[in-house]
Order: sequence, then C-alpha cells, then structure tokens
Amino acid sequence: MKFFFHVGQYFYMLKKVFSKPEKHKMYIRQLFHEIDSLGVNSIWLVIIISVFIGGIMVIQFAYSMANPLYPNTLVGLGTRDTLILEFSSTMMALILAGKIGSNITSEIGTMRVTEQIDSLEIMGVNSASYLILPKIIAVVLIFPFLYIISVFFGLLGGLITGPIAGVITAADYIAGIQWLFYPYYVTFSIIKTLFFGFLVASVPAYFGYHVQGGALDVGKASTLAVVNTNVLILLFDLILTQLLLT
Amino acid sequence: MIKVKNIYKSFDGETILKNVSTQFDPGITNLIIGRSGSGKTVLVKSILGLYEIDKGEIWYGDINLTRMPEKDRKKMRSEIGMVFQGGALFDSLSVEANVRFPLDMFTNKTPKEKQERVEFCLDHVNIEPIAYKLSPSEISGGMQKRVAIARAIALNPKYLFCDEPNSGLDPETSTVIDQLIQNLTKEFNMTTIINTHDMNSVIEIGEFVLFISKGEVAWEGTNKEILHTENKKLNDFIFANKLYAQLKKEGENK
Repeated sequence: MKFFFHVGQYFYMLKKVFSKPEKHKMYIRQLFHEIDSLGVNSIWLVIIISVFIGGIMVIQFAYSMANPLYPNTLVGLGTRDTLILEFSSTMMALILAGKIGSNITSEIGTMRVTEQIDSLEIMGVNSASYLILPKIIAVVLIFPFLYIISVFFGLLGGLITGPIAGVITAADYIAGIQWLFYPYYVTFSIIKTLFFGFLVASVPAYFGYHVQGGALDVGKASTLAVVNTNVLILLFDLILTQLLLT
Repeated sequence: MIKVKNIYKSFDGETILKNVSTQFDPGITNLIIGRSGSGKTVLVKSILGLYEIDKGEIWYGDINLTRMPEKDRKKMRSEIGMVFQGGALFDSLSVEANVRFPLDMFTNKTPKEKQERVEFCLDHVNIEPIAYKLSPSEISGGMQKRVAIARAIALNPKYLFCDEPNSGLDPETSTVIDQLIQNLTKEFNMTTIINTHDMNSVIEIGEFVLFISKGEVAWEGTNKEILHTENKKLNDFIFANKLYAQLKKEGENK
C-alpha cells in the first residue's frame, strides 16, 4: 500500500515539476548553475574511475583469454564492448546516483526542513518546478556527455595499462577496439543514459522534497534515495536491454 | 485588513480550530498568542491559504480567499510577505540576492531599479552594505531575521506575517526586531500578523492581541488591557512567567 502511495506521490510531484515556469529567465539561470554543480563537477570522478576500470579490464581480459587459439585482438574488443554496453552507461549511472543523487536529496531536504521551500511557496513560486526541473534537465543533458567521456578514458586506460603490464601490445589493443564495431551499441547506451539521468535526478529529488523532520531525516532520505535509484537503474537497464538489444 | 469569519479546521477527525472569528487591521501590529499546540500556527497557515479550511470565510480586504482558485491565490501571494521562525533565507544566495529574489521572480524592473529596491529594503532593516555580499551562514541570527524581513517587504506587500520572529534571539535583539516590525507596519501601513508566545513582544508591540486556547478565541484586546484582564485562561498563560506575576502583584498593591 505504501509503495503505491509513493508511486502516486512521485507522479504527482512530476506533474508539478513539468508545469509552466513563472519566469523562464530564472529557470535558465538555475539550469546553468545545475549543469556546473551536478555535471561539470562530476567529470573528474568519471575520468578517474574510467581510466582505472579500463586498465583493470584489459588485464582481466588478457588473463582469461590467455589461450593461443584466441586472437589478441579479443582483449581490445572485450574491453570496448563492456565499456560501451554496460560500464560507461549503467555502472557509471550507479556511481553517479551516489554522488549526484545524495547531493540532490540533501540539498532539497535541507531546504524543506529549514522552511526555505515553504518560503518559496508563500511567495507564489512553484517550488517543485523551480528546484527540481533545472536539476532533471541538467542531469539528462550531461549524462550522454559523461558516457562519452567515460568510454574514451576507459579505452585510454586500457591502452596505457595493457603495454605497461605487458599483457598486450598497443597495436593489438588498437586493432581490437576497432574490430567488429557496431555503432548501434553507442546509440543504445546513449538512450539508456537519458533514462538513467532522469532517474538519478528525479528519484532523489522526490525523497528530498518530501522529507519531514530534521537533519537526521535528511540523512536517512539520502540513503533511501540512493538505494531506490540504484534498484530502478538496474530494473530499467534490464527492460531497455530487452527492448532495444534483442 | 484581514477578516476571519467563523472558521473551522480539523485534521484526521480532530478539530483544531473551532469557530474562530476576528479582524486584523492595517497599520497596527496584530499578535496571535497561545500555548504550544493551541492552534495558532494552524490559524496562520489557514489565513495564508496553505491549509484549506473546513468551514467559514477569510477575507483580504474585499477579496474572499476561501472561494479563490489556486491560480489566483498564487497571484495574491505576491501581496503577502512572510518572515519564518528560522529566517528561511536561501543558503545558496548572498544577503542581497535573497532580497532580490522576489523582485527577479515577479517583477520586470531593470537591474538598476532592483538594486535600488534591495538597498532601500536592507537599509530599512539596518543592514550595512558590507554585509550585502555575505551568505546567510556568515551573519548572526539577528541579522538573518532582519534580512528575512527585508526580503518579506521587497515586493511592498499589503500583508506581513511573522512566525515567532524572536525565537532564538537574545532579549535586546528581540526588542530591536519587534520595534523594526512595528515601525515598518506603520510606515507602509501593512496588515501585520505576528505569531508568538513571547510576552515581551506582547507588552512592547501588542496593539491588538488575539489569545487562542484549544483552537478557540479565548480573549482579544490590547497590550494595555492584557495585564488587567480577569480571563482565567489568559492569566494562567501570562502569569506562568514569574516576572509578570510580580508586576501584576505590584500594580495591585499600588
């Protein structure tokens, strides 16, 4: 019963979020602020994680394919497809749900418990729309770029690590990442990132917007928001993979 | 002027406000007092239109708020300023940006006009220009309240609501805030409603005092009358403070 209550309340909030803004100029200003704080500030985290995971994947692929019957190019191919299909979209969304999601819940939750949201409402501002809409648009816009950055730096991590670890030559690796490349895999993953971006912004915003109590409750809401966002990302990953890849 | 006519409000079957009727006039400070849980916050939120009342009417001048659709209520809110208990300033904005926010959102003034209005409001609440660029966390509690008042009057509202404006402040700063609200009320001829249980405020600026007990109007009058009332509920509330009990005793002995 509680589940249906939350689902209903979430969609009711979305209805308020997507209503006509009071003043477009203020929303656009807020949008640029959110792109900077939620998106641009996440680039370094994406780069660091992608470089290391790319490097680790190359070593693991090389180890599991240490068979003279397998061509060396399989290491590059495996790394590329794993990055493109799953890591840079889904795994990165799970990681960013922790960073961006908890940030959104704690920011909106703190505004709720300190009456800042009530203050907006009394002024006549649609608080749900003003606070949440720019965040959703910012995250949905920035996620495909973060995905592309992640794929690029993941492949670069493999290129650096493979020859240094002595598991593959740079030439074999480069040949591998060009072998049997299907551009649709990138399209499919970019579609996924749009859905994940929406979830990463809207679900934590829901938990923050409906917080009741004090600082402790904001912390609890942040944890709940991250857990629920992660479950929804995996669920949508399964559904989208079934719908778009089979 | 705000008129409240026979309003009722209940939550989950429990009646919080029972047949409340009163009138708040412009140009004077109207105080709502009562014990915690007496229903004064529900009354204020009902007057603000944040709670839908079960029965009765609320009039802002000649406009009936109770029959107004939500869209028109939003427009109406630009005529209302509100000072929250904790100030409720936006953390991410500077002092001057907080005061400018309602101007940015609801007016088409030029940047110069907005800046002039911001400076006018901040000057009226005695905030020095040196504090304009500071964030709310960098200023004292008393200054936060004053900035909140400046933001509340930025759109030149007809109605000003203050929810416990003195909570968490020392007695001296409380007096300054009280005087400030009273002066602004008179200067701009606003209908000001203050929700408080601070007896110092009642004595200092209570030009009209409404005492709520168990969701009903138990007494109404002025700060001059309040110390001499025979109303038992009100006396129990006021003279729970030993200082006022002593003052009353001294007054009776004279």
